[in-house]
Amino acid sequence: MRTASTRNILAGLIVSLALGMGLTSLVMRAGHDAARIATIESNAVVTSAAVTEVIDEALSSEADVQVVVQELVEAVPGLEQVRVIHAGRRQLTASTNAEDKAAGELPRRLKREQKEWFDQVKELEAAYTTNVDEGKARKREILASVTPDEQLELVLPLFEDGEVKASVQTVNLPLFPSELGRGVGLLGVVLLLGSAVIMLALSRFVPSGLPLFLLGLVLVIAVLWVHAGVGISAIVEDRVVGQESVAERALQVKETIQAVPGVIGESLAITGWNLDQFRQPRDTFDAKGVVATEQVLNDFAVAKGRFVQGAFFLGLISLLFYYWIAAGWAAKTWQALVKYRGAYGFVMPAMVGMILLVFFPFFYGILMSFTNQTLYNVNQPIYELWSGLDNYVKILSDVDVFRTAEDGSRSVNYQSFYWTLGFTILWTVSNVSIGVTLGLLLALILNTPNLAFKPFYRIILILPWAVPNYITALIWKGMFHKQFGVINQVIQMFGGEPIAWFDAWFTSFIAVVATNGWLSFPFMMVVALGALQSIPGDLYEAARVDGAGRWDQFRFVTLPSLKPALVPAVILSVVWTFNMFNIIYLVSQGEPAGATEILITDAYKIAFEQYRYGYAAAYSVVIFMILLVYGVWQNRVTKATEGI
Amino acid sequence: MSTSRTDSVNHLWLHIFLVFMVLVTVYPILWVLTVAFSGQQSLMFVDLPADPSFMDRLRAIMPWPQQVSFQNFIDVFTQQPFGRWLFNSAMVAIATTITGVFLACTAGYAFSRFRFPGRRAGMMSFLISQMFPGTLTLVPLYIIIVEWLHLGSNYLGLILLYSTTAIPFCVWNLKGYFDTIPRELEESALMDGASPVMIFWKIIVPLSKPAIAITALFSFMTAWNEFILALTIMDKESMYTAPIGLKFFVGGFAEQQWGYFSAGSIVAALPVMILFLVLQRFLISGLTAGSVKG
Repeated sequence: MRTASTRNILAGLIVSLALGMGLTSLVMRAGHDAARIATIESNAVVTSAAVTEVIDEALSSEADVQVVVQELVEAVPGLEQVRVIHAGRRQLTASTNAEDKAAGELPRRLKREQKEWFDQVKELEAAYTTNVDEGKARKREILASVTPDEQLELVLPLFEDGEVKASVQTVNLPLFPSELGRGVGLLGVVLLLGSAVIMLALSRFVPSGLPLFLLGLVLVIAVLWVHAGVGISAIVEDRVVGQESVAERALQVKETIQAVPGVIGESLAITGWNLDQFRQPRDTFDAKGVVATEQVLNDFAVAKGRFVQGAFFLGLISLLFYYWIAAGWAAKTWQALVKYRGAYGFVMPAMVGMILLVFFPFFYGILMSFTNQTLYNVNQPIYELWSGLDNYVKILSDVDVFRTAEDGSRSVNYQSFYWTLGFTILWTVSNVSIGVTLGLLLALILNTPNLAFKPFYRIILILPWAVPNYITALIWKGMFHKQFGVINQVIQMFGGEPIAWFDAWFTSFIAVVATNGWLSFPFMMVVALGALQSIPGDLYEAARVDGAGRWDQFRFVTLPSLKPALVPAVILSVVWTFNMFNIIYLVSQGEPAGATEILITDAYKIAFEQYRYGYAAAYSVVIFMILLVYGVWQNRVTKATEGI
Repeated sequence: MSTSRTDSVNHLWLHIFLVFMVLVTVYPILWVLTVAFSGQQSLMFVDLPADPSFMDRLRAIMPWPQQVSFQNFIDVFTQQPFGRWLFNSAMVAIATTITGVFLACTAGYAFSRFRFPGRRAGMMSFLISQMFPGTLTLVPLYIIIVEWLHLGSNYLGLILLYSTTAIPFCVWNLKGYFDTIPRELEESALMDGASPVMIFWKIIVPLSKPAIAITALFSFMTAWNEFILALTIMDKESMYTAPIGLKFFVGGFAEQQWGYFSAGSIVAALPVMILFLVLQRFLISGLTAGSVKG
């Protein structure tokens, strides 16, 4: 703590407090916004529930619903529009919407383009029966949406003989009390300046270094604590104020409804309107509109807990900053940055790119592999989708490579991870063997002394490497075409039957291996040729003098000299072939039925055809692990053989 | 005289094998040329009679079209948006080359000339990143580029991806070359009061032209031939790159247009094939050097 100078400690205090309180304020603002939205919704629900009750009564007493609805909209402030839809009769029973009224006499049959309203009733009905069956409140029984002009549209169910038969649609103005969400205002600034002054004063009496550092730490914790505490209690206060306004609103609605002539309003009870989204009573105020504060706090407890956690987490980050700056690390980092600013300036652009688009995606991919993220929930925060090791368990426990059908016949389950893994290994081994054999053979031939046309052969034989591999793949796909492909023409030329190459896994395998063999042998050939040419002729001469035959010369001179060049080339081509996406994806496309899929094309299809991002990420991590294990193993083997 | 006689006898079998291999190697290339110049969309070079004889079949596999026509080359640009796709590929590849080489030059220079905290860690991290499998980063990259940055079907998204993935190879390549430039030149420039930025631009860059050219061509070819990322990011048909466009001709469920594919393939592949053949020695040495280090 020698570097914990007064200046550093003061800077640490100010920066960490500004950061901590700033971030906490952002979180608290989100809390205020949530409280406002909740209040707007509750106000609308209370109004809507009241209207629904009145309409229900009007329906059962066979009054003219259209008149009732019209009067309600005129009387109740903030209620903009009401529609009653009867699904059983497929009827628009009543509406205050100008267009609806202009379109003709009400009630009338629903039109085709109004099917949406009918569906809403069906949705509410399904939700209600599900909740009753399960004895739980799981499906929403109040549909809410925001209209383009920021008004709240609610749909509530209407019951007939205990079943949802109709619905009431209301459009409500967003109502909330002005005293909501005032937040903590200047408190943060005052606290920041105050603690800076206190610290300055303290630094005159307390020696710099550890004592002052600890005092600063205590001060930071205390200030953040107070700030977060005030912020959270302000949010809680918002909830209570919000509920008070809802109770007030309920009383107001009750009064206005009772004043409407012709409406039966004697028995209206406002507590029955105070519903949550599952239409369960919330009991946050009584019939006289007195708010039950304890109930409000109870309802809010879980959400409050989340805010406390958030504030705690942000506080920890601020403390880390305090330590980093106050203990002098920040100054050191800064000094290094200034001292080597030239070098860092040169490295930074590339490094930023790498961090954002290589390293971050890598770690994010690993993180994703522990979630059940899909295309459809990609915008939800990742911690809500956490599924632990589920994906890995699912992938690795997929051991049923053979399936037994009901009639006892056995078939291969091509979708099994282990089939795909086995196929990938078969694919890699076959291709690398073909590549090495062919490449080595051609290199040895081309290395023959006095061979004519050497440069011609070399340039032609290297061509497949130059052709972009997606083009190679598509060409071979055309040549393997069942009806028109030249390969089947050759077979027919000699009297054979045309083969449907991609209908059985083995012929499909032959097709992809042929394609990949064609494009991969030149690499091995070039590498081997280069190595062969660098073997000094003296070695062979010495071997001949020792009486070695041609085979012995090959075994004891050529092969060992090739090894340093061939081993890395083989490792490289194993990894390339293992990940050779284009050939499989374009030639066999996994046909038949995914039998010739290799791991990475499978991962791609899971991600971009099934849209299971989390599962695909886990699949990719497994592939990475396999390659890692291969790399480590290969490294050991190479080292071990080098030792001999 | 006698040795050359025995040589040519001994070599006969080698030549037979080599000629066979040359035929196998060349056939697919002749095949695509034949389809391209046939003027039709069909996979067949000739129309077979109902009951084809051996000779008919033989004619059907001979890579020579019934009539030579440039129609496919004309149509692929006028009837199909292949010109647009080539343009997309060129834009992306050129921008990738410029960004990638600039980033790699500056970073390679710093790694070669400066000693600073984090230098080793930085270089190693570049090397390790080469071991990350493409698929593992593909899904997160898709989410970052398309869902977060909304750069799907946009040049910028693909350029960002290509130039960052090319960085490690280019940095190591260029650093190796910068290391061979003698320091005396820079030291005397420093004496004359030049800043590192000036030294970089006025001395290092001009001296490294060959290495920079190779690196640039490498980035260009990689971007030009890239398939998976482009397939994933470019959704809109007007934003396809040439590889995706070529796959579109023959990969879909619609009628397969082999004539367009072949003509387009030749146009798209010829420049990079020539580049490859010219540069093969450099590329091969770069590849093996990288693999030994890895």
